[in-house]
Amino acid sequence: MTRSNPPAHRLADAPDALLAERAGDGDVAAFETLARRHGPLMRAYSRRLMSSVAEADDVVQESLITAWKEIGNLRDGAAVKAWLMRIVGHRAVDAGRRRKSHGTITDQPEPIDKAPGPEQSAVTGSARQALSRALAGLPEEQRRCWILKEYGGQSYEEIAQTLGISAASVRGRLARARTTLVTELEEWR
Amino acid sequence: MNPTRDCGRRIWDLSDFLDTGASPDAEHIAHCPQCQARLAGLRSLHAAALELLEDDVASAGTEESGWLETMLANLRLETRAGRSIPLAGDPSDQLSETEGAVIALVRNIGDSLGGVLIGRCRLDGDVTVPGAPVEVNVNVSARYGYPLPGLAEQLREAVVAGLLVETELNVAAVNVAFTDMRAPIAEPGTEEGGKL
Repeated sequence: MTRSNPPAHRLADAPDALLAERAGDGDVAAFETLARRHGPLMRAYSRRLMSSVAEADDVVQESLITAWKEIGNLRDGAAVKAWLMRIVGHRAVDAGRRRKSHGTITDQPEPIDKAPGPEQSAVTGSARQALSRALAGLPEEQRRCWILKEYGGQSYEEIAQTLGISAASVRGRLARARTTLVTELEEWR
Repeated sequence: MNPTRDCGRRIWDLSDFLDTGASPDAEHIAHCPQCQARLAGLRSLHAAALELLEDDVASAGTEESGWLETMLANLRLETRAGRSIPLAGDPSDQLSETEGAVIALVRNIGDSLGGVLIGRCRLDGDVTVPGAPVEVNVNVSARYGYPLPGLAEQLREAVVAGLLVETELNVAAVNVAFTDMRAPIAEPGTEEGGKL
């Protein structure tokens, strides 16, 4: 009864801000608690930005390394989730650039879930499945903008900075992506 | 939508309106059937996006259980050393401990008290000079139900006692700031996100 809780359990309900402070002070357990809390979201985001599951996990891993190095400089610990997502966005775009510059892959890599796998058949026919298919058909530059906005919650300016393009281009790409997606969702209905 | 009577508004005008809830064009949008239809389309898209994200997060978290643990194990995160704090010893030896180790000690002392979780911890003062006065500043998250003045006093005493044993720091003060309050411990098994 009096045995003290293992650190990971003790931290399980600690708020993000406190965990970020501890991680900034070098507490590995606190950082790992943050990673467990937000890891699935980071991975989901990365998977939509990258073209394979393996690449997506590489991006998550690189993002966690960056986050561990930088978390001591994070001013607002309560915003750690958005901060982690920004790191994933940057890392994913960097990884995409590296892949392109190697030139081994065609311009339009096959998206992860072009065809519904067996485990996805349960949601076939749902709006999200229709959206998933429509997303897969978008040009990569538009899909990335849309994912950075809708999944990453980034502003136009942040997306522009991440992609190294102007905010006006972001606005244009997002509008084209949304026009296509709205149309395809309407056709599906 | 009637292509022969296009109102001229583009989808990004409406996207901006949806994002901000305001537009210089709000009056037109409110009364234009075409704009209203497009807004409805954008809203459905947004709702579908939230559902898809939820699905994606659920499958990212549960596929290949242990992926995150494997990844974390591979990271081999190293703790931060901080400044080097000298310890008296044989004059011919260089004996020291790291600031990171002392801060970890303060965390462990605090965490072992009921109701306390230590947040940021700073050693203010020149810890590299033996005998220089040092103030320990800690942020603390307390659980409801513990009287804070008593808790702070208990924490101060424990930290001072612990530092006296493990360090040679001249602790001038232990300053406690309660920066967060946590709800009482949930019943076992009902804790959110407690899948460890």
